[in-house]
Amino acid sequence: MEFRFSDKNPLHPISLFSFDAMHTRIEVLLTGLDESAGRSLAERVEQECRQMEHRFNCHDPKSPLAVVNSIAAERKVEVDDELFMALELCEVFRRGTAGYFDIATDSARAGERSYQLDAKAHTVSLSREGIRLDMGGFAKGFALERIRKMLAEEGIETALMNFGNSSVAALGHHPYGEWWAVGVEHTKVRGSMAYEVHLDGGAMSVSGRSTDGRYHIVNPTTGGTVAAEELILVEGRSALVVEVLSTALYAAPRAQRGAIIGQYDGYRATEIYCRAGGGVELREIGK
Amino acid sequence: MNRKEFLSDCGRMGFAGVALSLFPWLESCSEKAKQEVQGEKARIGIIGTGSRGLFHIQHLIQMPNVEVVALCDNYRPHLEDALQYYPAAKSYDDYRRLLEDTNVQGVIIATPLYLHARMTMDALRAGKRVFCEKSMAFTLDEALEVYNLRKELGGVLFIGQQRLFDPKYIKAMQMIHEGVIGEVVGVRNYWYRNNNWRREVPSPELERHINWRLYSDYSRGLMTELACHQLQNGSWAMGMLPEQVMGSGHLVHWTKDDERDVYDCVSAIFTYPNGVNMTFESIISNKHFGMGEQILGTKGTIDLVTGMHYTDEPAPKGSGMHQLVEQIESGVMSNSVFAGTSWAAETALLAPGMPIMPNIKVVTGESSVGAEADGSKELVEAFIHAVITGKQPDKVLEESYYATQFALLADKAMHENQILRLDDKYRVPYTPLRNR
Repeated sequence: MEFRFSDKNPLHPISLFSFDAMHTRIEVLLTGLDESAGRSLAERVEQECRQMEHRFNCHDPKSPLAVVNSIAAERKVEVDDELFMALELCEVFRRGTAGYFDIATDSARAGERSYQLDAKAHTVSLSREGIRLDMGGFAKGFALERIRKMLAEEGIETALMNFGNSSVAALGHHPYGEWWAVGVEHTKVRGSMAYEVHLDGGAMSVSGRSTDGRYHIVNPTTGGTVAAEELILVEGRSALVVEVLSTALYAAPRAQRGAIIGQYDGYRATEIYCRAGGGVELREIGK
Repeated sequence: MNRKEFLSDCGRMGFAGVALSLFPWLESCSEKAKQEVQGEKARIGIIGTGSRGLFHIQHLIQMPNVEVVALCDNYRPHLEDALQYYPAAKSYDDYRRLLEDTNVQGVIIATPLYLHARMTMDALRAGKRVFCEKSMAFTLDEALEVYNLRKELGGVLFIGQQRLFDPKYIKAMQMIHEGVIGEVVGVRNYWYRNNNWRREVPSPELERHINWRLYSDYSRGLMTELACHQLQNGSWAMGMLPEQVMGSGHLVHWTKDDERDVYDCVSAIFTYPNGVNMTFESIISNKHFGMGEQILGTKGTIDLVTGMHYTDEPAPKGSGMHQLVEQIESGVMSNSVFAGTSWAAETALLAPGMPIMPNIKVVTGESSVGAEADGSKELVEAFIHAVITGKQPDKVLEESYYATQFALLADKAMHENQILRLDDKYRVPYTPLRNR
């Protein structure tokens, strides 16, 4: 973990820490703690994040999710409360996004009902061999929510958390402004801004082609990779909800996006079209 | 890309001054050279009107300063294909008769490899200005014979090494020569396809006539058909020639359907005097990696195919979070640009790369006929210019000559299972082009 402390501005001592997690990097900036307290909190955040990473990482053969993937087609697998709750949330989001958010999307056939949850027994079963649950599109948002809660419980009022640049959550606002001003980078002109998000609390998430240009988001209803050029930006209260919605809206056909976002009060989604030469076209979804 | 766009690209890249001393064959692309031939026409004969010959015709018909006056092929259907474009052209089934045609100033030869040297030399002796498809010849000796004859007669001879006219290669080489990627420490070339490399044959007796690429009596296979293009990269980038070559070639997959005897799977390593290796690998039963040509330097890499420059020392991206720290330290607020699609740790070690020029045209290497915007058209335009002026551009033949010689030497090394050096008798004057 990298930890940096600055008290150059004695009114707002800053702790900034970062570490690699969930195949990307998380950065947390917070103010108001001295160096020792900041470092201690950073270590606890990292520990918590590691636990979540282990729980949700389908690529780690020892993770509870990997166990589900390996044997739940043969028999029901009982999982701990937290994983079960997360799976239930994923199921709620699947229904709440017309099926465009689906943790089985990479392995399920189009439209297939691929897993079942038993709420009484806290068990999971997969409908057939070959189904793999992947919570990659859920875990970062979930982790950001958890970290934000941890910081708030420590009395932190001013913090910004960046998970892999695609998911950002805030506590309070910039010490010298009414919000945190986060620029979404133009995809065709590196370093320039395509859109500015203002976060006072709340969170934002961006989905689109990966930074190396690949299309990687799958449309669960067709099984095909979505080849849309635009970025989808979602802003709202919960880091988890914006994370899930940005993925689902990118996967969904443009005509269906409005109906999906319309179900989420207080959330706003924007299609960002970055043009060659630096131009930008914005379209608020559902408006 | 039309001539105007090519010139515009060249202009944008600052070719006008520096590049002409480094790449003298580009001189015919200049505005001044264009004026020189204003209103004049080159009278061209095409020998070989199969797929590659027709590919050239697609470019020739766009050139106002070209008149195709003669066509030749000993396979009637191919000749008829070409006659559709030039119905007024004289048609021949024997190239020697075409060479006797005094109306023909220049010839474009697009025939099987084993005929290249003979036809080129006959054409030079007939006083024609010659463009011959690569590779230059079927054997090391023949290539030297052709080179020496051209030197003796002083005519015009171009070989179909179109990368010499591809703006992104020119720009890349200029950057390499200027030291942008540091010292060149490796060159990687590969060309993968997944097809049997066969053309449809209307009747069995035409098998070898049409599928000549598959038989060692007529072709050197992947080395002369594909490697030849890529082998010039190392020499061009480093301004020196390989000292030795070793290689391995085998028929691995395409052995069931036909009697072919050229390798379908080859690997070769060329070692330069400074110890740097250039590799070439080709497999035609797997296409996942496609075509690649990369110059590896101590400070970065240039991917010639995609026209991308990757630095080994990326400037640390000014993390938005660090900017925020500075803002709070100074008691100010501003925006901070860092959000976007997910940044993946697995690829983060590789800097994202920057295009070396605008409007890069990338070709996949999948087509066995030719690709648009790969320098082919500009190469033919330069030849047409030379047909009119009678001037042979400096160095263009030497670049092609060595590409052929090292392709042939590698093929020999594979067949003999030996490490080979190019015999001194095959060495012709080659001036390093490094801008140092």
